[in-house]
Amino acid sequence: MSTKNTDIVLSASEQRERRKQILYKILPVVSILLLVALWIAASGGESSSFPSPMDVYDRFLRFMEKPIQKLSLWQHILASLKRVLIALLASWVLGISFGILIGWNKKANALLGPIFTAIRVVPPLAWIPLITIWFGTGEFPKILVVFLGAVMPVVVNTQAGMSNIDQQYLDVGRIFNANKRQMLLDFAIPSALDAIFAGVRTSASAAWMVVLAAEMLGGKSGVGFLITRGMDSGDLPLVLLSMICIGIIGAILAISMQLIERGVCPWTAKKSN
Amino acid sequence: MDGKKVKLSLEHISQSYVLNNRAFDAVQDINFDVYDSEFLVLLGPGYCGKTVLLNIISGLEEPVDGTVRLDGEVVKGSDPRIGMVFQKTSLLPWKTVMENVEVGPKMAGVAKEERRKTAQKYIDLVGLQGFEKSYPTQLSGGMKQRVGIARAYTNSPEILLMDEPFGALDAQTRYSMEEEIQKIWQSEKRTIIFVTNNIEEAVYLGDRIVLLTNRPAHVKAIYDIDLPRPRDTVSPEFLRIRKEISDNTDLAL
Repeated sequence: MSTKNTDIVLSASEQRERRKQILYKILPVVSILLLVALWIAASGGESSSFPSPMDVYDRFLRFMEKPIQKLSLWQHILASLKRVLIALLASWVLGISFGILIGWNKKANALLGPIFTAIRVVPPLAWIPLITIWFGTGEFPKILVVFLGAVMPVVVNTQAGMSNIDQQYLDVGRIFNANKRQMLLDFAIPSALDAIFAGVRTSASAAWMVVLAAEMLGGKSGVGFLITRGMDSGDLPLVLLSMICIGIIGAILAISMQLIERGVCPWTAKKSN
Repeated sequence: MDGKKVKLSLEHISQSYVLNNRAFDAVQDINFDVYDSEFLVLLGPGYCGKTVLLNIISGLEEPVDGTVRLDGEVVKGSDPRIGMVFQKTSLLPWKTVMENVEVGPKMAGVAKEERRKTAQKYIDLVGLQGFEKSYPTQLSGGMKQRVGIARAYTNSPEILLMDEPFGALDAQTRYSMEEEIQKIWQSEKRTIIFVTNNIEEAVYLGDRIVLLTNRPAHVKAIYDIDLPRPRDTVSPEFLRIRKEISDNTDLAL
């Protein structure tokens, strides 16, 4: 701290700290290399039923030349993403509104809470038979199933956030004579945003999981469909290629949610400064 | 105290709660007057019911018995003429300093330009110019409490309640904030009711000190402090008053 202008001389403990920092940067790379090495080892041998990284890469190149069901890999990914995004937007708008209603209004909670709880415990995939009978196998039923999976965590978290607001913030509202609308918009909802975003994050990963399952059960496009196609035709490299895409896109979705949260709640990002 | 105008009076205020099926009294038959523009300190041992009393005056709580009168009229519920600086600062973490300070006039529907002007005046007064766009998490404890004071003043209350506002601050910051609040009060005369459990702080700040007993709190004594301001905390007279009050104060439970 004292020698900021002169050449920085690191003490032993500082050097140790720095070495630790470097180690923490290297370790994730090592772990991925290890995974790939393990993969290569596991797929060793000509007759192996487990495709090697090279097989998967070859399958990727072939996919680029020859589409499946007239759709390129990107178009399949886009098909899945489109379903997820539509379902997510609907689940955020409806889920947050409904969560605020039953979290803030005790009467609404007494009336609607039990219905919601009863529906919530049914996994979204259990709806597929009913929804298929009602709405067929087009786009809408798939989006509906994804919506059902995504909306639950949004409602649960929003309700929890709205019913556990720190009393001190509500006291501020009362001291400054906030009316009911101001109480809700200026005090209650902002203080519940943390919880609401926890629900939004969970909804994104849930939606991504449910869309794959929905596509595996029926459909002509999407990454889930690719997996089923690979399985049916014994095309294991295609299955692995799809799995890798799923992983990467899932990660991108999670990061996007964090970025959205930072944009909407700038005060949480500045906490670390 | 002749010739001074009574601003606020508490008449037979009592409050009790039910806890684990047993009733207990928090404050009991409290009576005192607060004069216009005076700095009144409510002094009492910890957990004696001082905060309860402030909550009743501010309208956050309703007493089981007694009335609060402001300019002779009974006060019901929270009244914009009575402002509050909270113990835990209670700044809204999702709002910037400016947005926190302007919250009072905003709730009252004052136009943005006008309320920002008032808010800016008090932000400057508490010495936070340049921090208007900061979020509370970026501020130190003393700065947060300054925001709380500016927020209360911006709503132009006639009476300001302060609930141990400096209780969570370190000793050094606390001294400078005591000096600061005295300056602010002298430049913007309002009636202040200041709650504390710190005798030195009480004698340093108060025109009068209302000493409360242990729970259930009732008024034990009222002291007039006629020392000139700013007060010297080590002058013999200051120390004498401090000792006199100290000897008369109940030990905290």
